[in-house]
Amino acid sequence: MIRRVLRSRGVRKLRQNRWAMLALGVIGLYVVVALFMLATDAVEGIGQRTGGFTIKDRPVLGMLLVDKTLDRVGPNSVPGFFLRDRPERRLEHHQAYLDAVERALNAKDPEAALAELRFGSLRPADLGPDKLRELVDEGWALFDEVDEIYEQIDEAEGQSPGGDQATAPGAGEGEAPNIADLDAAVSDKIDQIEPIVRALFPIPDGLDGFLYRLKMLLGTDRQGRSILIRTVYSIKIALEVGFVTALLAVLVGSILGAAGAYFGGWVDHVVIWLFSTFSSIPSLVLLTVLAFMFTGSRFDGTLIPLYTAFSLTFWIGPCRVIRGEVLKVKELEYVQAATSIGFGRVYILLRHILPNTAYLMFINFSLLFIGAVKGEVILTFLGLGLKNGASWGIMISQSASEVIEGRFWQISAATAFMFGLVLAFNTLTDALQDAFDPKHVS
Amino acid sequence: MPENESTTRDGEPVLKVRHLTTRFRTDLGVVTAVQDISFNVYAGETLGIVGESGCGKTVTSKSIMRLLPEEVTLIDEASRIEFAGLNLASASEKEMRRVRGDRIAMIFQEPMTSLNPVFTIGWQLDEALKYHTKLNHAERRARAIEMLRLVDMPNPEQRIHEYPHQLSGGMRQRVMIAMALVCEPDILIADEPTTALDVTIQAQILSLMNDLKTKLSTAIVLITHDLGVVAQVCDRVIVMYAGRVIESAPVRDLFHHPRHPYTRALLDSIPRAGTAHAGKKLPAIEGIVPSLFELPEGCRFNDRCPHRRTLDEAQRRRCVDVEPDLSEHGADRPVRCHYPLVDVTVKETA
Amino acid sequence: MWAYILRKILYNIPVYLGIILLLMVLLRVNDPVYAFLGKSASPEQIQVKRHEMGLDRPFLAQYRDFVWDILRMDFSQRSWEQKRPVGQMIRKAVGPSLAITAPSLFLTAIISVTIGLIASFYRGRSVDRTLMLLAVLGMCVSYLVYIILGQYFGAYWPRKALGTSVFAVSVDATVGDEAGYFFVPANWVRFCMLPVLINLVVAMGYDTRFYRAVMVEEGTRDYIITAKAKGASKRKIMFVHMLKNAMIPIVTRVMITLPFLITGSILVEMYFGIPGMGRTLINAINAKDFPVIQAITALLAAVMIVTVILTDVLYALLDPRVRLQ
Repeated sequence: MIRRVLRSRGVRKLRQNRWAMLALGVIGLYVVVALFMLATDAVEGIGQRTGGFTIKDRPVLGMLLVDKTLDRVGPNSVPGFFLRDRPERRLEHHQAYLDAVERALNAKDPEAALAELRFGSLRPADLGPDKLRELVDEGWALFDEVDEIYEQIDEAEGQSPGGDQATAPGAGEGEAPNIADLDAAVSDKIDQIEPIVRALFPIPDGLDGFLYRLKMLLGTDRQGRSILIRTVYSIKIALEVGFVTALLAVLVGSILGAAGAYFGGWVDHVVIWLFSTFSSIPSLVLLTVLAFMFTGSRFDGTLIPLYTAFSLTFWIGPCRVIRGEVLKVKELEYVQAATSIGFGRVYILLRHILPNTAYLMFINFSLLFIGAVKGEVILTFLGLGLKNGASWGIMISQSASEVIEGRFWQISAATAFMFGLVLAFNTLTDALQDAFDPKHVS
Repeated sequence: MPENESTTRDGEPVLKVRHLTTRFRTDLGVVTAVQDISFNVYAGETLGIVGESGCGKTVTSKSIMRLLPEEVTLIDEASRIEFAGLNLASASEKEMRRVRGDRIAMIFQEPMTSLNPVFTIGWQLDEALKYHTKLNHAERRARAIEMLRLVDMPNPEQRIHEYPHQLSGGMRQRVMIAMALVCEPDILIADEPTTALDVTIQAQILSLMNDLKTKLSTAIVLITHDLGVVAQVCDRVIVMYAGRVIESAPVRDLFHHPRHPYTRALLDSIPRAGTAHAGKKLPAIEGIVPSLFELPEGCRFNDRCPHRRTLDEAQRRRCVDVEPDLSEHGADRPVRCHYPLVDVTVKETA
Repeated sequence: MWAYILRKILYNIPVYLGIILLLMVLLRVNDPVYAFLGKSASPEQIQVKRHEMGLDRPFLAQYRDFVWDILRMDFSQRSWEQKRPVGQMIRKAVGPSLAITAPSLFLTAIISVTIGLIASFYRGRSVDRTLMLLAVLGMCVSYLVYIILGQYFGAYWPRKALGTSVFAVSVDATVGDEAGYFFVPANWVRFCMLPVLINLVVAMGYDTRFYRAVMVEEGTRDYIITAKAKGASKRKIMFVHMLKNAMIPIVTRVMITLPFLITGSILVEMYFGIPGMGRTLINAINAKDFPVIQAITALLAAVMIVTVILTDVLYALLDPRVRLQ
């Protein structure tokens, strides 16, 4: 039967649509990644519960576990894509590294402290406390030099009233230093600190090094967490939310709509009343009420409020559409023929009517999937979504404050990945309509 | 040109279709819907174009009016549709707009959906006059009412203000006819005008069309699959099959002496009343029309042709390999068949 | 015609009453008093407050009184947090909200319908393809992202880079408190125009595709071929024949987007600090201010129902088949 479906006219048309096939490929990719994460989380969960094993420390397998999304991998707000931050920020990052080593060195048992020290996923070099202390001191010395140059800059700026001019007026005696030159000097000095930091926390070779660079590829957020890891993990959440919501909404809506249309009478009246009433509730009101209900409750921070909000509103669309279609199909001759042959009502509904409305269910599924993914972002922002872990909603909400400071990594990464998924589904929806809807004109 | 009416008509034809070939671009390739069609339409006569669904009769009529969707329609360069000094096959859209509604008008099968539901009857009648005449509002209004009276619409002054959904099917078709004839065109193309109506109304509409033809001396091209309708109103008939003209004759000749096996089979398959036919199997034509994507090399009717039985091996071979041309075969009207029927007389019954 | 309107109103009244019922039940699932006073409140305090607010009365009594209040438009109950009458708070908040939603609705409708028309007129050609591609791409970005980036590039960055900007980043203390403040053109441009533009961009993707589809579908109707057979030009066909018929789904769609603008304004109000209904509501939720929440949600539901009724009335005006039953 599968082969028969695959050879049917609509599916053939869909297969010929190159963009649709590309979209399906992209969706498949996302699904594979999500399944991987689902699997590793499940395995880890089982491992922990049975106390037997853990994959947390495995480099590749353990990379995308839910806990890892909360791990710090580097200093806060490091830019991604190998871009460099402004000098002051780079200074802050270097300082963070030096501080970490210094703290360990000053501990009661430096050796032990150093052994346990992690900065993000990097470990300090195995050079022994003395050598490390040397390096740290070197670093601080450079810091002092940087401070000196800053003082010079302050003086230079103090001399010239506007402050931002390239050269200070030569009003005073002696040379008035060129601010641009000083800026360059600062930058150079800060660059000199970098090898020290690298020496303190070397990037390992091979797989670990590669993974480290990968995690830093898109930068880090306010708390030093890897944007890449978080964005990729959000795929799992998005697919989960999208899939569950769309599936439930389409199933419930279709069953209600088909039942109402086919059985008519009081069943239909109930169905009509249901979707009229539910669609008359403004979504804002619903969200408000849900927010009021759930905040502070034990479901707060889970996906339950999200699912509640969606399930109360998303089923209406498929219900209306399927009901309309079944009403039409019911009057067609082949249904009347089947009835006259003597097939039972339920049999006709399942075997004759529903397969002809199947394409509508797929199209609605696709549309609602997108609605759920985009809705998650907004609802999370309004406080109805996840609070811990990672999701595109969380990332975009958090990025609001970062954007003010000119840091676009988190919002770009989340938006880009979401864009890919949503665009794929939009393309798929259009292609499905093109291929299966007999009345569709493009 | 060899084909067509050997029965002499007075004067030049109003419309001359020559070698009309219309193709469509589809998902599955380019398909030829009508191939090398040629015929004339003379003033004051009713020409019937008859054939099964899908034989190309509607495509032919819409090609004349250029009403087919531009993006996918390809009218062959060699096609000529000569009317009023223009070649409609290659005329510009602007020229076509002047012809449509004014010189050639068309009515369609479904009066229910062919009228715009949100405008009154009066407005829709008015529209054609607005495009093609210089009459003022009052004059247009008067003309519209006059036209409605002409199509036997009761109470036209009131109907003017009504909407299509307020009228019955028969009345809507009358409105369509009125709309088509309001500018007194030279030709009226009627595409299955009575198919969607019940039989009593059908008769009324057909007789109305006949009257109007005489009163306004409009030529009518009547497209139908119903031979009964053809018998009632047509002067000459063209039979089409799978995109080809296969026979052409004055109506009585066609009915009494069909030359093409298909025409004969069509006539035979009309259900007849009377005890002579009681209890006998309905003589339907076996098989189905070939798909336009898989047309045979030879005669398109070949695999359904009952006449084959009377042919020998060599003759049947010819039918399979070579598609016949339209030729007169020594008689006085053309037929597309290698071995046309001769001296067949179909008796009229009831 | 009037009978039709009356029927619609009468039908929707029970629907509205049902919604209010549902609303009130849901809001009492978590005890509002407990939520407001917090965990540290003593049982006596809770009891007192509950009695004060009339929340210890039987539910039906509360329901009856609330409905009665709504009918009389009596919102004199006081906010728990701000101690002002709820009615007063609402009255102050309606103006700013309208300053955003009304222009958004109006501009979005006009621009999207126009673009949809243009795209369908040039159907299949590069104009059409480009417009639809942009629409699809625009639909794939979250509303929130448009707001964040819009605020940044529209207001914040110009101010930083160029020293000044047309749009304010958000409403600040300089904003006056008087009614109609946001309707003064200078103020409107400064505080409301950017949010309206953002709303426009977000809605356009969906709407233009829809309106284009409506027009394209109209083009397949039989009566369009009739019109063409009468000699109508492409322009006449589109703007006279198709448009009048297309008005029905277009108007329905415009009416449906109304609620979106009420929801949408919540985000925009929060980000841009506009003191409208949305922000009032969010603040009330955070403060667990029960009377405010109850009143505003009831009001919003009423607006919704009125919209539904209006849509049906417009339907009748546009479609003679509905009107002349």
